[in-house]
Amino acid sequence: MKFTTITRWEFKETLKSKKFLIIFCLQLSMLFLMIFVFNAFAANIQSDNGVSLTPSLSGFASLDIDDQGHLFTKYINPSLINIQSSNYNTALQNLNNGEITGFVQVPADSLNSIKNIDTINVKLYLDYSDPKRSVISDEVNSTTNILATSISNSWIDSLIPQNTTQIVVNQQSTGQSLQIQLLTNAMLAILLFLPLFFFGNLIIDSVVGEKEKKTGEILMAMPISPSQIILGKILAVEAIIALQIVLWMIILITMGFKFANPILIYILVTITALPIIGVTTIISAYSKNYKEAGIGITLSYIAVVGVLIIPALTYLSVKPLAANISPMTMVMRILSGETIPFWQYFIPIAFILLVSIITYWISIKLFERDDIFFGPRPGLIRLFLELISFKKIKKIR
Amino acid sequence: MKILTLAKKESQDILNNKIYILVIFVQLFLVLGAFGLAIISSIATDPALLDTYGITSHLNVGISENLNGSELSQDLKAQNFNIIYYNNTDKALKLLGSGLVAVVGISPEGEITVQTDNSNVFYPVVSQKINNAVNEFELTKKLEAAGLNQSEIHTIQNPVTLTEIKVNGNKTAPIALDSSYFVEIMYGFIVPFVLLLPFFMASNIVTDSVVGERERKTFEVLLMTPLSSSTVMIGKILPILFFSILQSMAWILLLDLLKVPIYNPIILFFILSFVGLGFIGVGIIISMLVDSTKEANSAITLALVFATFILFVPLFIKAPFFEGILNFIPTVLIVKLASTPIINSQLVLSSIPTILLSAGIFSLAVRYFRHERAIRL
Repeated sequence: MKFTTITRWEFKETLKSKKFLIIFCLQLSMLFLMIFVFNAFAANIQSDNGVSLTPSLSGFASLDIDDQGHLFTKYINPSLINIQSSNYNTALQNLNNGEITGFVQVPADSLNSIKNIDTINVKLYLDYSDPKRSVISDEVNSTTNILATSISNSWIDSLIPQNTTQIVVNQQSTGQSLQIQLLTNAMLAILLFLPLFFFGNLIIDSVVGEKEKKTGEILMAMPISPSQIILGKILAVEAIIALQIVLWMIILITMGFKFANPILIYILVTITALPIIGVTTIISAYSKNYKEAGIGITLSYIAVVGVLIIPALTYLSVKPLAANISPMTMVMRILSGETIPFWQYFIPIAFILLVSIITYWISIKLFERDDIFFGPRPGLIRLFLELISFKKIKKIR
Repeated sequence: MKILTLAKKESQDILNNKIYILVIFVQLFLVLGAFGLAIISSIATDPALLDTYGITSHLNVGISENLNGSELSQDLKAQNFNIIYYNNTDKALKLLGSGLVAVVGISPEGEITVQTDNSNVFYPVVSQKINNAVNEFELTKKLEAAGLNQSEIHTIQNPVTLTEIKVNGNKTAPIALDSSYFVEIMYGFIVPFVLLLPFFMASNIVTDSVVGERERKTFEVLLMTPLSSSTVMIGKILPILFFSILQSMAWILLLDLLKVPIYNPIILFFILSFVGLGFIGVGIIISMLVDSTKEANSAITLALVFATFILFVPLFIKAPFFEGILNFIPTVLIVKLASTPIINSQLVLSSIPTILLSAGIFSLAVRYFRHERAIRL
């Protein structure tokens, strides 16, 4: 009996399960939701007001403005702030009642001041007992700067003769902005890697399920080694993940997302599943029941997500070579159309293979032990010492 | 009394479960991590804060030796950049993105060229500061060319003055960073996320509790006891709800200690209690529909992912058509309540749909529970 037989069994059983198919379809529907959010987020951060990664809450803070010349009101951005026209007495009363966070008073003769080339003195009354004061202060300051530039330019146009020689300044920027990189490359890479974290339950069911359903004994009695059992189970899950990633990528491409070199991206994402399945198998092999395995996997996946995302985000800012150990960094670089030296592809692949070999070796060692499979389960420290061969391993066979 | 006995047993189950205690520490790590990230990203995007913490002086701007002592170099120094003069433009451009954040040069025709590295982590601030310096330089040159005197130049350069007047200065709200970005990210996302985290966990605990009873075959025994369905339900959910509210309270205290004051805690707890009932209700409904812990885990994960979308996506999208509805979403309510020292009655009334919906989900859960009891007995 070969491990491929186990793979075939597991794969068929999984695809036959109606509940699995429902969950599989729900995961795909989640992708549609994410694409909707992705597009909404993209529209938001690439809006006319520039790139912003902060929440877009409307009416987050309130501001009263006394601006009879409608000079200030014309330039203020109301996306975060509720703005209402007011007068000094009402606004101060509102301010003291905590109904607003700030009040801007523009002098009534501001239009005359512009005509006479006089400075306009704008007053901002700011409620310091409100933590949102900096939101108001920031918005009023930037509006003041926009207004000042506009007035300066109009004065210059009227004062300076057209034939005056002017300094020419040519401003250029190189590279893609960090926020745009985050949006277009990092978020798309995260979407691609997401399915890898959906199938932890399949592995739990496949490994812990044997303990809970008491079918482990029958499996052990079969003419097949524990390493072949583990390999068979793992390959079945890998095949299902590979199938989900294909569907995931087809949906993304159909929805208008563009991938440079989709086959290479597919291979990188799919092989990244191997060490993740390995980590999940270790936890499943050690866990007594579904609940314990579920919590263990949730915690370990937080660490795995960190290992994938942190180097990728680091690469966006400082581009260290070491960041390439994360396959997500490599996928992000491919998505950005960067020219990547051929040898650099081996960095994430080597890391994936190394972690896969270690995790499978540990999984097989755990699976071979009768005390872990049938109890009483040894503690983690004792197990660690035994795994690095300070003590003898209790094998089933 | 019977409720108390059942509640006591459930409380002991929660407190004896090492995994739940571990999850509390994970939440603590998340709260502190989110706060730290908000601080770092706020400093990185705020020119004034970068100056305050002396980071701008570590940002190198390369300037052609020909511009040494020029007004432009003075303007750039005034922006607190570290100025490095160069003789070879090609070498300077090669360092752009590694050693230099911008390169400023002058062509033989007298044209000023400014090249900035867009991919730098501080790019928004660098770009803003370089723009300020260049605009200042251009304006001064224009005005000097027009033959204006210093007083006229000063007026044209400063057409608007802004005077800030402190109101309630004696009651200043303590805030870890007086930065717009920090306040928006903390109150606009992290506070609702942190306050709702324990309730996400609550739906998991309730599923564990109910499905666990069924798997251990103690559910039927519980249903056969002379306790009404509502007594069993209250006994089971009361400690879970209390446990979640207690965690939310702890995170509020922690945020207060970190100088992110949370206002209106009593109203917040009132709304959070109902949101918690809704989460627990979803957990109970799922528990009634599934056969095992494994199925419950899958279903609750998916339910919580959908809940996350409904609760947190509205914070990040602009949808003017749905503005009216968005104001009733619990996370939006939490943002407004937590960040506003004095609230108006309209805001409190906006919580009614959340209360009704949560109560509705919970009533549905009670009905399902009664139905399950009738079937099993």
